[in-house]
Amino acid sequence: MPKKNPYSIQLFLKFLPVMTIAALILLPIDGYATQLHAGSEGIITHQMGHIFFLFSMVVLIFTVTGKGLDKQKGWRLVQYSAFFFILWNLDAVTAHFFDNQIHAVKIENISLWKMKIITNNDSSLLAWFYYILKLDHLLCVPAMLFLYKGLSRLVDDQRQMMVKKESR
Amino acid sequence: MTASYIPILAVDVLGSVAMVVIALVCLYKARILRNMDLDNAVFLYLLWISTGFTIFAISRAFGHILKQFLILTANTQTWHAISSYSGSINTASFMLVGLITIFFNQIWNINEKILSGRKKLENTHIELMDLNQTLEHKVVERTERLTSSEHKCRRIFEQSLDTIIVTDSEFKIIEINPAGITLTGYPRDEIIMKKMTVGSLFADPSEWDRISNKIGSDEYILNEESEFLRPDNETLLVLITGGIDYGAFGCAKTYHFIIKNINEKRQIEHQIAQTDKLAALGELSAGVAHEINNPLGIILGYAQLLLKLAPDHQDDLKIIEKHVLNCKTVVSDLLSFSRKGSTELSIVDINKVVDGVVKFLSNHSDFRNIEMSLNPYTGDRLNILGNEQELSQVMVNLVINACHAVDGKGNIDITTQKTGTDKILIMVKDNGKGIGKENLSRIFDPFFTTKPVGQGTGLGLSVGYGIIKRHQGDIRVKSSKGKGTQFIISLPADRTSDLG
Repeated sequence: MPKKNPYSIQLFLKFLPVMTIAALILLPIDGYATQLHAGSEGIITHQMGHIFFLFSMVVLIFTVTGKGLDKQKGWRLVQYSAFFFILWNLDAVTAHFFDNQIHAVKIENISLWKMKIITNNDSSLLAWFYYILKLDHLLCVPAMLFLYKGLSRLVDDQRQMMVKKESR
Repeated sequence: MTASYIPILAVDVLGSVAMVVIALVCLYKARILRNMDLDNAVFLYLLWISTGFTIFAISRAFGHILKQFLILTANTQTWHAISSYSGSINTASFMLVGLITIFFNQIWNINEKILSGRKKLENTHIELMDLNQTLEHKVVERTERLTSSEHKCRRIFEQSLDTIIVTDSEFKIIEINPAGITLTGYPRDEIIMKKMTVGSLFADPSEWDRISNKIGSDEYILNEESEFLRPDNETLLVLITGGIDYGAFGCAKTYHFIIKNINEKRQIEHQIAQTDKLAALGELSAGVAHEINNPLGIILGYAQLLLKLAPDHQDDLKIIEKHVLNCKTVVSDLLSFSRKGSTELSIVDINKVVDGVVKFLSNHSDFRNIEMSLNPYTGDRLNILGNEQELSQVMVNLVINACHAVDGKGNIDITTQKTGTDKILIMVKDNGKGIGKENLSRIFDPFFTTKPVGQGTGLGLSVGYGIIKRHQGDIRVKSSKGKGTQFIISLPADRTSDLG
C-alpha cells in the first residue's frame, strides 16, 4: 500500500490563492459583478423613503404619547409637526405616484404665468387634484414651523428647570 | 387643463426658502438645548433630527428653486440631467430623518436609564455626604467623649490620694501617680527610668513573692496587708489591691495596683486599743489601790503605835513600817496612774520644767557619761495649765528610763516645740538599745518592766501616762531595736495666757 503524503492538502491550500489569481488573469471571461439600477428603481426608492419617513413620524407620535410626553407643550408641538410631515409625505407619495410611477399626469409650461396639466384621460378632476398636490409646501412648512415652536418651548422649559434647580 | 403657474411657483420658491430658514433656526434651538445638558441623549437626538431636517430642507430647496429657475429659463433638459442627483440627496436626507426618528424610543429609554442612573448617583452622593457628615459628627462626638473620659481617668489617677501603679507584664512600673511618689518616697524619674518593680518596694521580699504568686494564680489580689520600705528606711503599712489587664486592641498585658497607706490608721487603732486597755487597767488599779490603801493605813498606824509602846520588837516593827510605806507608795502610784487623785492646776512653763529636770539629773552620778542636750523652743513661752510637780515627775521618769536604755553611756536629746497655737511637744530621744516590737504595746501597762527584778516596779511609765492623760495630753513612743527610742509628749497649750 502506497504511503499517504500528509502535506499534500496543505500544499494545495497554500497555492490556491496564487492559482486563482493566475487563472483570472490568464483565462478572462465576462463579469457581471454589479447590478444594474435602471428603469423605475429610482422613483420606487424615493417612494419607499417617503413611506419610511411617514412611518417614522407615526412611530414618533405614538412614542411621544406612550411616554406621556404629550402633556408637555413642547413635545405636543413636535407631535403636530410629525402629523404635518405625515400629511406632507402622503401628498408627496400621491403626487409622485401620478407623475413618476404611472405617468398619469404631465406638466407643460406654456409661459411664465401659465401651465398645462395633461392627464391621461383628460380628467380635469385629476388635474386639479394634482395641482393641489403640487402645493405641498403648504404642509411641510407648517410641519417645520411646529418643530421650531416645539424646540423653542423645550428650550424655555429646560431653562426654567435649570433656574429652579439653581435656586434650590 | 390650463392653470396659473404663479401659485405653484410662489409656494415652491417661498416654501423652500422658509423651509431652509426654519430648519436653520430649529438647528440653532436644538444646539441650545443640547448645550444645556450635554448628557441628555434626547436633546442629542433632537439635534440629530434638526440636522437631518436642515440637510433635507437645503437639498429640497436647492432642487426646487433650481428646478423652477431652469424650467423658466427653458433649460428643462439641464434640470432633467441634475434632477436625479437632487432627488437622491433629498431621498437620503428624509430617510436619514426617518431612521433617526425610528430610534426615538430606544434613545428615550437610554436617556431614562442615564437620567435615573444620574439621579441614583446624585442620591447616593447626597447619602454619602450625609453619612460622611454624620460620621464626622460621630467622630467629633466620640473624640470629645473619649477626651472627657481620658480627662476624668487622668484626674482620678492624678488626684487620687491612694497610690495607683501600672506595671508591665514583668511588674516593672510604667505609671505611678503623685500619691504613689509620696508614698514610696522615690523620685518619679528613678521609678520609671530605672524600671523599678513593685517587688522592690516591699520591706520583705518573701511577702512580694507570696502576693505575686497569688496574682499569677487568681489574676487579682484584694486588700492584702503588707509593709513597704521607703528609701529613708521607714516602713509603711499598706493595703494592696491589684489585678491583671489583658489590654484592648492588641495592647500588652499590664497589672494595675491600688495601694492604701494604712500606717496612720493602724497606729490610731493601736492607740485606741492601748487607751482602752490602759483605761480598763486604770479602773482595776484604782479599785485595788482603794481597797488596799485603807488596810495599809491601819497596818501602818498600828505598827507605828507598837513602835512607841513595845520597844522590845523595834527592828521587826521597823521592817513592817518600811514595807507598808513601800506598799503605800505603790498604791499612790497606782492611784496616780488611774487618774483618781486630785491635783492643783496652775500655769506651768514647760521649758522651765524641762530645764529644772535636766539640771537636777545632770548632777546625778548615773548621768556622768551621758551627753544630755536640751533644745528648748525659743519662741513664745510654752505655758500649759497643769501641775508642775507631776509634769516634773513624768520628765524625770522618761529621762531615767533613757539613761537605763543607753546603759549609762550615750546621748539623750530633749526637745520642746510648739505646733501651731494649741499643741506643745516635749520629745525625749535616746540612742539606746530600743524597745522590741513585741513590748511596744505593753510599756504603759502597770507593773510591766524589762528591768531585772528589784530594779523597777513597772509603774513609772504608767504613772507618767496617767499624768499626761489627766493634763488632756498624749504620750507616744517610736522605737527601733538597736537604734534608740523617742517619747513624744503632746500637751494642750494654755490659751488664757495668750489672751491675757
